[in-house]
Amino acid sequence: MRNILSGKSVIKICITLFFVFCLILPIISMLCRITPEGIDRVIHSKQFLPALKNSFTTGLTATIISLVLAMAAAWCLERTQIRGKAIFGMLFVIPMLIPSISHAFGLVALFGANGLLTNLLDLDTAIYGFWGIVAGSVMYSFPLAFLMLSSILQYEDSMPYKAATVLGVSRIRQFTDITLPYMKKTLISAFFAVFTMIVTDYGVPLMVGGKQITLSVLMYQKAVSMIDYDSGSVIGALLLVPAIIAFLVDVLNPENGQSGFVSEPVKPEKRAASTAVSYIYCTLLSIAVLAPILSFCLMVFETKYPVNTEFTLSHIENTINRGADRYLMNSLMYALLAALLGTILAFICSYMAARVKGAFMKGIHLISITSMAIPGIVLGLSYVIFFHGMPIYKTIFIIVLANLLHFFASPYLMMYNTLEKLNPDLEAVGQSLGVSRVHIIKDVILPKVRFTLIEMFVYFFVNSMITISAVSFLAPPSPKPVALMINQFEAQLLMESAAFVSLLIFVINIAVKITIGLIKRKAEKNSKA
Amino acid sequence: MDLQLSPKLEIKNITKAYKANDVLKNVSFEVAEGEFLSILGPSGCGKTTLLRILIGLLKPDGGSVIKDGSDITNAHPSERGMGIVFQNYALFENMTVIKNVEYALKFHKIPKKEARERAARMLDAVGLKEHVSKMPRNLSGGQQQRVAIARTLVLSPDIVLFDEPMSALDVATRLSMRTELKALQKKFNTTMIYVTHDQEEAFALSDRIMIMDSGEISQIDTPENIVKNPANEYVKTFVLDNLQAKADSLIRFTKGK
Repeated sequence: MRNILSGKSVIKICITLFFVFCLILPIISMLCRITPEGIDRVIHSKQFLPALKNSFTTGLTATIISLVLAMAAAWCLERTQIRGKAIFGMLFVIPMLIPSISHAFGLVALFGANGLLTNLLDLDTAIYGFWGIVAGSVMYSFPLAFLMLSSILQYEDSMPYKAATVLGVSRIRQFTDITLPYMKKTLISAFFAVFTMIVTDYGVPLMVGGKQITLSVLMYQKAVSMIDYDSGSVIGALLLVPAIIAFLVDVLNPENGQSGFVSEPVKPEKRAASTAVSYIYCTLLSIAVLAPILSFCLMVFETKYPVNTEFTLSHIENTINRGADRYLMNSLMYALLAALLGTILAFICSYMAARVKGAFMKGIHLISITSMAIPGIVLGLSYVIFFHGMPIYKTIFIIVLANLLHFFASPYLMMYNTLEKLNPDLEAVGQSLGVSRVHIIKDVILPKVRFTLIEMFVYFFVNSMITISAVSFLAPPSPKPVALMINQFEAQLLMESAAFVSLLIFVINIAVKITIGLIKRKAEKNSKA
Repeated sequence: MDLQLSPKLEIKNITKAYKANDVLKNVSFEVAEGEFLSILGPSGCGKTTLLRILIGLLKPDGGSVIKDGSDITNAHPSERGMGIVFQNYALFENMTVIKNVEYALKFHKIPKKEARERAARMLDAVGLKEHVSKMPRNLSGGQQQRVAIARTLVLSPDIVLFDEPMSALDVATRLSMRTELKALQKKFNTTMIYVTHDQEEAFALSDRIMIMDSGEISQIDTPENIVKNPANEYVKTFVLDNLQAKADSLIRFTKGK
């Protein structure tokens, strides 16, 4: 007991120090940079109001489109009897495996001045500007909306529908009167989450925004290009607003309808018309999801896309000569370190919050999920301001740390939810049998949660590979990750190299996903046998 | 039961409060060697808290727990010579039945071979001989509970605490488990303290019953004496009237009316 208590307090102190130094103080130091003059300067600069308006209109439009598309996709997979649901489900989340900037770059490759479809269909190159930002943002945010909506549809109880059908309520009325109210909280959460994700991303508008700039791009320009941290901090604080609303909506609405009593999930009925429509819709969506990746392949392996289709490896060679391999190694190291350390730290925090409990742990829980509300660019700027001049600055660790915190909340919650479901008395049994908490964790709890650990690891890894937000602020002095080269190559009109880097990130991420999927499947089979 | 001679366990003036809520108000009682004592009360009466204080998972705000004459109020749960069986079994689901039982022995410096033998013997005693290499999830609720009991008994505790161990089991399994529990008690000569909210179970199993109501002991006595002289109105309504109602319905049923 005495050992556990002292061990416990050491862990408590470490966790507290970690959050104070890596989250709270950096954010505060950024907020401290805000001065009345800075606010004045930003508001009266001539880009500010258009940027604010653009952020709002593109964000709102893209969020609505993303949610509608995701709702339809979730409905097809959860409520109709099409085949290949697992495959469609996998395809729909593929956009999560490439950086936001790659989505926009895919649009350029397809619809840009020299794009494949522009030439093929003889289109105007209207992709730059409002609709370019909207299209890229939809692509990028669709998987998140899809995952949120499909998981809530999956757990809906079938009883209200059975009752409604017996009472002769029409299908449309069933949808408006049963499904939508049931999904209301999730729809609201998803709306704010998607909106925040879109508005705080600068990759898409930077690439296809053309003359239209958004707040995130403005912040990027001020803080990264012009090194004007005061203005950057003002815009950063503004970008915290939707993020904080999204966070509050989530915290104040924790139920999300999922916790109710489910006697039997809804089983889709066989209806030829809806099945056919679903097939067409899901196929179109899959094509849209795969199109950018396909265009990357063409660009990389064709001599001159889209005019000379002869196969070549010279673009790969050139890109490597430009240092892609070195940057890739940087990225892999960041991703692996962030995944390893992040998984360990998220496990410790979630274990303390879920199984040790107490007022202090509630604070840990709250602050762990708060990290979700901090946009990557805000975190990046905070880190630059706070860590500037400290020994950790200019090292790989600051980027690992930024990635670790930026992506902390989701893996934390995955593990928290898993641990909460485990038998609450395992540690108590251990104590009564003379088995310490550490041994119970090692021999009983870790084996039980190993799949969740793997998923956490993959989440940290994939997101660290694709992120361009926080790292864009921290990279210049530190070794640069590969995702940041996409923008750089595109700016130098080295389109093939930009495509190759996007493809490289995608291939690595999908390889990791598939490998982990196979390992999991095998382990599940073994444990059943 | 002769309580005058050195009690196995003495509980003296135990108090415990959560925030402003008094869960246990000055609880004192004694348990004799080899006794089967039930602690009976509705949920929220403090019986589970009391059990956790006895095993050492919770610290009381005041009072002491004395076992065989020595104060164990602050001793580590594993140093009390006590075992506990939980309502939800809390088995180690990633281990086979026999691994569940032998697991703790390794932390008591018992050689592997001997541990395996002791675990096998214990599983034999609880009637799980054929199931030793199964995973817990492939067992019935009653069998899982027997694994939990074997896991506790293998360390040879002289007092075993039960926290509503049968509330998740179906009626038929409960009835057979009662008999087995009594047999095990006899075989290993352990003192048992059994928390339950089921009046019938308490009356069927116990040498004595301690009836609790909002953190206080209403009555502690043999089943016969409780029936003859219920201490107060609470004992009468909560315990006896309920039992009577159950008995009445059974009698009506057997008479075929």
